[in-house]
Amino acid sequence: MNHSAKHLYLKRLVTSVLRMVGKKSQTLFGVSLLSFIAASCATNAPQDTWQPKGPNAKLIDDLQQPVFAVAGVIGLIVAVAVIYSVLKYKDRGQPIPEQTHGKPALEITLTIIPALILAVVAVFTFGAIFKLAKTDDTEMIINVTGQQWWWEYDYPVQNEFGITQPIISSGQLVMPVGTKVLLRETSRDVIHSYWIPALNGKRDAVPGRIQTLRLEADKPGIFAGQCTEFCGLSHANMRMEAVALSKADFAKWVANQQAAYVAPEKDSLAQQGEAVFLNQCVRCHQVNGLMRADGTPAIAAPDENVWAGAAPNLTHLMSRNTFAGASFDLLSKQCRDEVWNASSDTIGAKYLAGVSQDCLNQKDLRSWLRNAPEMKPMYANPTQLEATGGKYRGMPYLALSEDDISKLVAYLLTLK
Amino acid sequence: MAIIEREIEVMAPMVATPTSTYGVLKRPVAATGWRAWVFTVDHKKLGLMYGVTAMFFFIVGGVEALLIRLQLAAPNGKVLNADLYNQMFTMHATTMVFLFVMPMAAGFANYFIPLQIGARDVAFPRMNALGFWMFLFGGIFINLSWFIGGAADGGWFMYAPNSGPVFSPTHGIDFWAFGLQITGIASLTGAINLIVTVLNMRAPGMTLMKMPIFTWMMTVVQFLLLFAVPVITVALFLLSFQRNFGARFFDVAAGADPLLWQHLFWIFGHPEVYILVLPSFGIVSEVLPVFSRKPLFGYPFVVFSGAAIGFVGWGVWAHHMFASGLGPVSVAVFSLTTMAIAVPTGVKIINWILTMWGGKLVFSTAMKFSIGLIVLFTVGGLSGVTHSVAPSDTQQTDTYYIVAHFHYVLFGGGVLGIFSGLYYWWPKMFGKMLNERLGNWNFWLMVIGMNLTFGPMHILGLQGQPRRMYQFTEARSGEGLFNFAFWNLVASIGSFVLTIGILLFLINVVITARNPTKSPLDPWNSRSLEWMTSNPPKEHNFDVIPTVHHLDEFFHRKYEEDPATHTMRQIATAEEIMAEQERNADAHIHMPSPSYWPIVLAFGLPVITFGMIFSHLIAVFGAVIVFFAAFGWALEPSTAPASDFETNNSAPSTALDTVGKS
Amino acid sequence: MTDTTAHGHTSSTGISNVKLGMWTFLGSECLLFGGLISTYMLYRGRVTGGPRPSQIFDIPFTSVSSFVLLMSSLTMVLAVSAAHKGEDRKTNLWLTVTALLGATFVGGQVYEFTAFYNEGLGFSTSLFGSSFYTLTGFHGVHVTVGIIMLMSLVGIFKRSEVPGKKAEVVEMIGLYWHFVDIVWIIIFTLVYLIPV
Repeated sequence: MNHSAKHLYLKRLVTSVLRMVGKKSQTLFGVSLLSFIAASCATNAPQDTWQPKGPNAKLIDDLQQPVFAVAGVIGLIVAVAVIYSVLKYKDRGQPIPEQTHGKPALEITLTIIPALILAVVAVFTFGAIFKLAKTDDTEMIINVTGQQWWWEYDYPVQNEFGITQPIISSGQLVMPVGTKVLLRETSRDVIHSYWIPALNGKRDAVPGRIQTLRLEADKPGIFAGQCTEFCGLSHANMRMEAVALSKADFAKWVANQQAAYVAPEKDSLAQQGEAVFLNQCVRCHQVNGLMRADGTPAIAAPDENVWAGAAPNLTHLMSRNTFAGASFDLLSKQCRDEVWNASSDTIGAKYLAGVSQDCLNQKDLRSWLRNAPEMKPMYANPTQLEATGGKYRGMPYLALSEDDISKLVAYLLTLK
Repeated sequence: MAIIEREIEVMAPMVATPTSTYGVLKRPVAATGWRAWVFTVDHKKLGLMYGVTAMFFFIVGGVEALLIRLQLAAPNGKVLNADLYNQMFTMHATTMVFLFVMPMAAGFANYFIPLQIGARDVAFPRMNALGFWMFLFGGIFINLSWFIGGAADGGWFMYAPNSGPVFSPTHGIDFWAFGLQITGIASLTGAINLIVTVLNMRAPGMTLMKMPIFTWMMTVVQFLLLFAVPVITVALFLLSFQRNFGARFFDVAAGADPLLWQHLFWIFGHPEVYILVLPSFGIVSEVLPVFSRKPLFGYPFVVFSGAAIGFVGWGVWAHHMFASGLGPVSVAVFSLTTMAIAVPTGVKIINWILTMWGGKLVFSTAMKFSIGLIVLFTVGGLSGVTHSVAPSDTQQTDTYYIVAHFHYVLFGGGVLGIFSGLYYWWPKMFGKMLNERLGNWNFWLMVIGMNLTFGPMHILGLQGQPRRMYQFTEARSGEGLFNFAFWNLVASIGSFVLTIGILLFLINVVITARNPTKSPLDPWNSRSLEWMTSNPPKEHNFDVIPTVHHLDEFFHRKYEEDPATHTMRQIATAEEIMAEQERNADAHIHMPSPSYWPIVLAFGLPVITFGMIFSHLIAVFGAVIVFFAAFGWALEPSTAPASDFETNNSAPSTALDTVGKS
Repeated sequence: MTDTTAHGHTSSTGISNVKLGMWTFLGSECLLFGGLISTYMLYRGRVTGGPRPSQIFDIPFTSVSSFVLLMSSLTMVLAVSAAHKGEDRKTNLWLTVTALLGATFVGGQVYEFTAFYNEGLGFSTSLFGSSFYTLTGFHGVHVTVGIIMLMSLVGIFKRSEVPGKKAEVVEMIGLYWHFVDIVWIIIFTLVYLIPV
């Protein structure tokens, strides 16, 4: 974004305006005006609320732009009126003025004008509220469940999208573009809030309730979000990303999510990793299709170990770009930038490539496996579990050896 | 109750004290030294004690704010860990709301309402003392948790179920809930006391529509407290019963609805916002006319808009819950009511500007703070209007934009008003004027500091930085110079500028205390009754209770309109009016004696709640204290036999009872 | 002693400070009980395996104890009337009777709580249990505080002069007592009589 020329011009404009209004008011005025201008020189922050990338967010944006403008103008009028009276009616030895107690006609007029402005705003607001609450035009449903401190996505069977068996994922919400997606949100513990600013406003995920949020993306891309209802210790680390793929790419993603489990090659490091996984991780983390040595399916039992009852399903971990509740990137910085900065027609292919050995963010993943609570504050320390009857809230320290960690990483890399 | 009596003399009334104490349970008589404060029931002393305590908690809350800003000065801050940060922002808000702004307003109300309505004390002086001590002990109780396992960490809004015993296993929230319960009772007693005082004890001739505007706004606040406090009381009881006695109120597994807490909290919480800003609106509405040398423009409009805010304030609570999932109909209704409440608020701003319009403006520090309030509160008010647009609010709620919004309302509106009041009334309270030069620096540093701190938060919020995050990351900060890191750093620097501004106030207080120069009797050429007495006022406030003929009675005793030119002509000085009063002083002025029981009773409450958390035996002990104190209170004699006084008994004892009995 | 306002004898409203104070306080109490009643109404059907309201309520028993409490309002009126006439002995008598009727009601509530507990409704059993005990418990505490105030009044009147204020104080406590009775009528109707 090349804003510098415009920025300079505006800056000069502001300084000259400020010179006119006088020295004393400069700070009052200057700061608020400059703030506004600076806000308009947006910096491509990934959660910018003024850059809608879908019709729902656009609807909100179209509503808020004029409201902000009107509010700005009114603010300016008030500031100018105050500054004017300060300059004009300063005590210069004039006599004590007449003790007038007000002019009711003027007062009533000045009461009615803002009321009328607000009435107009109200009409448009009402329209938007009901449009954003519509659910009868839904084309696709995704269930979203919040839990301290990650999100689970569960795609119910929807044959028209090739989803013939439920898909359970976490961290990144993958959705087709140009499709009216309805999120059905709930929570397993405390209240969380789902927010992808580029696609829509936020909606709380409340335990015991199911609440809906419309999402639709115009073009393929990755859109950042963040849990916005304070949800305890690691609230700051509870992130999410929405990945919009073209319909064709989305079909490929669905196919991959439903692909059968591929066991690691015999006698490879990854196979040893599978053993470590079966020994340690499977207590909470499910990998669909994983078998124990005795040929029985390995079924995770997170409800026995985790207070809220679930842990992320890792079946296709390497098809995601993040881990640990989207707190960390699975992709190295360089590979991540390549995906994020890709144009909308190439981003799908880059995303679907998943995480290769070369692109893996080894450092963070290994640290996580070494001591997760040190990476992300969680109630996972044995001394903190009295209130939950010994159950964890978050991934505990597992005392894995460096060897085991290497094996595990090799194994996780096979979970494409 | 003790009696202060004197024979008619030309001098000001003297304080006569009983020669002995009386009654079975004796009341302290003519206490001196620290006893004069600890057992006092004098509304002015209690007002000052409220103020000093509130200032102390302001500093505590300020230090918490600075730690927050230090943590957020750069990405991935390491000053505080997640746990401590969560405690810090919870306690910052709790402290500032419940232990600074509310008691500071209570202090102003206590000190100035009786003076403004021409009364000698409040209706229930002992209950007034009880209120102060409960507030103090409640505040200390909440903060005790810092030293006993950690403070509350659920945010000041304390949403269920995150406030439950599973999710917050320390005792922080127990202390928080019980402590707020105690300060809540304090607010309630204060509200009852001041409502009765205002309704019943106005000087002759002072009709409601001749009442000073500060008293009016404070009265609205007391009604809001009267009806809002019991709602949070219920919510806090539900929370405490769940945490300490196994109730299931917010246990989702038992079928509980977490939104119950949100409704109860915000039915209290939104009127609370007006409880926090209306006192400052009252102060500004006093200060602007004085320094514009004009009456408040549209006094009835300001009164009714204040009352309207008080009423409509009850119908907007769910605008805090636009993202909670209320359904489109509720959202639309609360959207509309929220827009509606902007109208009376706008009326106030318009009236303030029109008060200055055509005036003769004197830019004292108090006036500067008031003018600053008009502009900065308007910023907060307008960002509030943008929130009433519910769809837009779902983008901005729980981001820094909201933090910016309510700090412009509560700091730009609330705190600037409080400082305006402090500068304006300082000579009244202490007989000395705060240094105006330092005051000027104080004002500008605070205003610049607050804009630097909270201004950038608008931008941060609109660019998507959520609140209540102990760290922000570079990955979500945006590109270029003006990214999150930049604006967060600006905000952090601003918070230190703001701190210097507030330190200057404290320095000013010390300098003023050491300066022997006394303030003139009427330093600002003021308009209302509180200035019609000495600085500081005598224990009995007025030598003679004035009969009121005008709004701005004091001004109209000093000035008269020239019917030809409509200009004002001085007919008397404040000193002359004062001398006139002293000549006509009342013969018998009866002030209530100090009492031991308010502080004892108030002390029993935190003992009970401490016991509720740790050991029921301690709670029983606390209950015994409360019970004993209540009986001591009830049995305390309200009148002394007339023979107890040195002076001639000119009145029968039954008539001697007095300003108030609580 | 010409200027009576100096001594706070006159009041702008014509109502004494204590009475106005009590009215104000009762206004606040309305919201307290409003909050508790709302909570109960929201949660009364949520029993999670514990007993349902209809399974444990003993309407005839509670009706009788409610009647006792209502009668205490009548005796309270008699006490206030006697106090205004300056009939000290009668005042004390009716205050004592009022307190005894109140105590009977509280006794009934204690019996009822014990019975419910034995039938399986504990404080932690269900949302219904928690909110039922909280609401009726709060009311019971109010009645108990009323009884303590009544008995204290009787005690104070016996031992000392309360110059000119006796009727005033009796009336003020009467206000409180009637309020607590009215609240019970609402609670009894909403909690016991209206089926879930």
